[in-house]
This record gives sequence, structure tokens and C-alpha cells, in this order.
Amino acid sequence: MREKETTLYLGPQHPGITGNMMVKLKVAGDTIVKAETHVGYLHRAFEKLMEVRTWTQCFPIVCRICVPEPDPNEENLARAIEEIEGREVPERAQYIRVMVLELSRLAAYLLWMGGQSGSSGLYTMPQWTVGDRDYILDLFEELTGGRVYHMYIWTGGVRRDLPDGFEGRVLKTMDYLEERLKDYDKLMFESALFQKRAQGVGIIDKDKAIDWGVVGPPLRGCGIKHDVRIDEPYEIYDKLDFEVPTYEGGDVWARAMVRRQEFEQSISIIRQVIDKMPKGEYYNKIPNPLTWTIPPGEAFVKTESARGEYGYYAVSDGSDKPRRIHVRGPAYVHGVSLLENILVGANIADTSFIMNSLGVCPPEIER
Amino acid sequence: MNKELTNENKLIEDIKKTFPSSEVSIQREKRVIVKIKQDTVPPLLSYVKDYLDFNHLSHISCVDWIEQKKFELVFILWSYDQQIQIIAKTLINRDEPKFTTINKLWRQAETYEREIHEMYGVEFVGNDRMGDFLLEDWEDIPPMRRDFNTIQFVKENFNDRSAAREDSKNVRETIAKHSGEEIPEFAKKYSTRNIDE
Repeated sequence: MREKETTLYLGPQHPGITGNMMVKLKVAGDTIVKAETHVGYLHRAFEKLMEVRTWTQCFPIVCRICVPEPDPNEENLARAIEEIEGREVPERAQYIRVMVLELSRLAAYLLWMGGQSGSSGLYTMPQWTVGDRDYILDLFEELTGGRVYHMYIWTGGVRRDLPDGFEGRVLKTMDYLEERLKDYDKLMFESALFQKRAQGVGIIDKDKAIDWGVVGPPLRGCGIKHDVRIDEPYEIYDKLDFEVPTYEGGDVWARAMVRRQEFEQSISIIRQVIDKMPKGEYYNKIPNPLTWTIPPGEAFVKTESARGEYGYYAVSDGSDKPRRIHVRGPAYVHGVSLLENILVGANIADTSFIMNSLGVCPPEIER
Repeated sequence: MNKELTNENKLIEDIKKTFPSSEVSIQREKRVIVKIKQDTVPPLLSYVKDYLDFNHLSHISCVDWIEQKKFELVFILWSYDQQIQIIAKTLINRDEPKFTTINKLWRQAETYEREIHEMYGVEFVGNDRMGDFLLEDWEDIPPMRRDFNTIQFVKENFNDRSAAREDSKNVRETIAKHSGEEIPEFAKKYSTRNIDE
């Protein structure tokens, strides 16, 4: 006998949903037959807002597009403007930018670890990782003045130089996090509970992954080695020595292992950056921002964020305001078309588990 | 920028040979811009996807060039093998904008098309999910169009809270009244703020 299908609304207010969005599920028993993503709870019209702001005024807006990891937005916008305008960035600023980007990647991964293990019932992990993330936020606060939103990277470089002794404090935090990773291993990655729960769930087909627009850790979890930092090195990533980890399987477990190894790589990158950072200027001063115009042109720039390829398409018509800035977040694909497809056949209880592993971030979809 | 752009030049040749009407240029290393007519966009995308390995759809965007009465649709593709980004652009008519869906080539194109339909009013023929995406019960003109007046919309639909804002209150005068001190001459012009400015 065919089981009766029921409609189940997961979200927008649900502890398992990564932000404000809703997944409308059709379920037969506890198996999902059809999934539909509904967004619109967070639409703040950032892209429209930017069309009536000057280029510099856009920086406090873009960082709000992604709460767990705001810095790729700032870096992308800065680099898009620099590319259209042809502005050089001092080398020291590029090193500082990479350090900030990697710190924010670590913070995002810590938050992800909390979400991923929390959605499988390991409630100690969120307490630990969110607490440890605060040590990184402390560094951000000292460097930029803001804990979550930094508005630190901007056109021509960064807003201010590193404070005295800052490098030492970053290295100390890195040592702490590296030591802490052993605890995370014991609690999460080596836990039989987590492994059983994650293996074989939310599988992305390797052959279709690229066609479906999968990027970042989910793509590398399919065993496909692609990373914007390697494919199209930006800032000074081509001067650094790091590996791009991959893992076979395409399931939640593979994606978790990729992120786990990238965590170590990010720590190593930050150490290299601090080791190699040159002295000198940190900011190539822009003209008076009130009268500053950008020549007509367009640019598509991209960054590897913790969730994957993050792109900005910026168009200038020669005025002091952008004609169009369009944000391409990885969640735009992961959270809608990909999620709707791989949820079919999954268990209801795995929905938020799979969402977390894809890194779905609703503000990125709606902007 | 003195690198020899061999791959990019070869790509330009390939596209030129198959689509003679297209305008192809190198923007910089790893960026190739293709300007092409509206009806040749689907064949171009299908060609670069199947024969030149441009199988990652990075982005679909839309720009409103209201002065020329055109919308510009922008398709951004990346080839993992060739490591080049193609930016394919086409201008479509701003009155009654219509375009063919490309969700048969990439299923995630559907989401981009839904958003462009909602925000610019471009209809994608063949995409059957053209309903509400981000907005709910929207009856005005599509809001990302340049002629949509955001400030007017806000004034009509939301309460004016500017009078309750702290910076609209005359803080200096209140302090002066309480403390009995006079406001210095130079600060007087800052002590009131005109909201409509």
C-alpha cells in the first residue's frame, strides 16, 4: 500500500535551519518525496541599495551579506573596483587581506562544526566551537574595531596597519586552535555516532557535480580538486604553499573531512603569511571619496570562501555610484537547486544535517 | 600583462569561427568577453559547454541600461580545464523582455532566471517556475529596474520614523538648557539637522 503523502514546513523558525529560510517538504512516512526551498524572509535589497550609494559607501553593506564569513564580500568588492579602476594594491595590504580572509575562514569553519555536530545531536561541540570562535573575533575586534562585520578591507588596501604585537597574538591563537583540533577530533570526527550518521547521507553524484554548479568543500568532497585559490590565484595566494584536500564519496562525511583538513591548511597559511609579510605601505590612497568616480567598465572577480566560489559582478557607468553589483554566493546554488535535488529520498531528520554540510547561508541567496 | 594569452587567443578563434557575428575580446588574463545577438546565445552556451568544456555556470546577471532602453543579460561561465572565464553578454529589448530559458543546459540556471524575472521582469520562455521567489505579492513594477523609485516606495509604504531618530533631535539645545551653558557660536549651525536634506 502506498503511504499517504504529507506536507511538512521546515522553517523559517526552526533550530535546524541555517538562517531564515523554509524548506517545504512532501513526505511519505519519514522519507522526503519532494523538497522546495522558499526564501524571502531576509530580503533587504542590498543590490538595489548599492545603486544609490557611492562606491565607498557600499562596503558597510556588502559585509552584511554573509554573517558567518563577511570578509570575502569586502575583498571581492574591493578587488572588483580595483580591477575596473586599475588601482594597484601594496604588497603588505595583500598579505594582510589574505590573513583576514583565512581568519574568517577559520571562524566560519568553527561555526560550521557547531552546526554540523549540533544537527546530529552532539551538543557539546557547538558550545566549544562557538566559544573558540570568539578568540578569532577578539583578534578581529583588535584589528578592525568590529567583531562580526569588519569593513576593514577596502579599495586600495586595508583600513589600518596591524597593531603592535598583533602577529604574535595571531600565532598564539593558531597554536591554541591547532591543539584544540585534537579535542574536536575526539568529540566529532572520530566519534562513531557522527561517522555512522554522516556516511552515505546527502550524496552528490561525482559525474554531475560540476554540471550542477557545486563548488567549494562539497565539490572537493566528491573527489574533484578545484579551488579558486589554485585555479585563479588572487592577492598573494600564488606565493603560498598549501594543499587542497579532497575526499571521495560525495556524502556529508566526505565534506566534513575536507573541511577538517582545510582547517589545518588555513592555520598553516596564516603562519606563512605572518612569516613572509613585508614591511611597507598598507593603503594606496583613493582620491576624495565624495567626488571619486570610477571609469566605465565591468569586472567579475571571485574568491574561495569557506562555502565555495564567491563572485562579484560589478558594472560601472563612469559615475560615482555603481551601475550594478551582483553577488554570486555559493548558497545560491547549494541552497536552492542542489538542496531540492539531494533531499529527495532522504530522511526528514537529515534535512538540517544535509543543509549544514552544504553550507547554506540564506542572506546570500536573497541579498 | 605581458604573458602570452595562448589559450585565450585560441578560444577567441574557435568562437569567431563558429559564431562569425559575435564580438569577442580579451578583457585580461583568464577573462574573455563575448558580445552576441539574443537569438544566438543558447547555441553559443551549448557550444562552449559541449565542445570547449565550459561546464561550470558561475553566474547569470542582468543590467538595466535604461538610457538605451535595453536590458543586458550576462552569462558567466568557467572552464575548469582551460581555466578561462567567459562573460557572454547580450542586449534584449526593455519593453516586453523575453528570453529562452537555459535550464536544460544547467539546472541551477532556473534559480537565476526566477530572480531576474522577479527583479527585472524578463520572461524566460520554457521555465515553468516563474512565480514568486524573493518577493511576496508584489504588484509594483519589478523593483531592480532603474525607474523604480525606492524612496517614494518607502515613503508610501512605511511609517516615517525619522522624527524619532536620535540625530533628528536637538541634543545640544537640551544639554544647554539643563546645564545652563550657552551653545558656542560655531556649533550653532550643527545643532539642528534638516531631515529632508
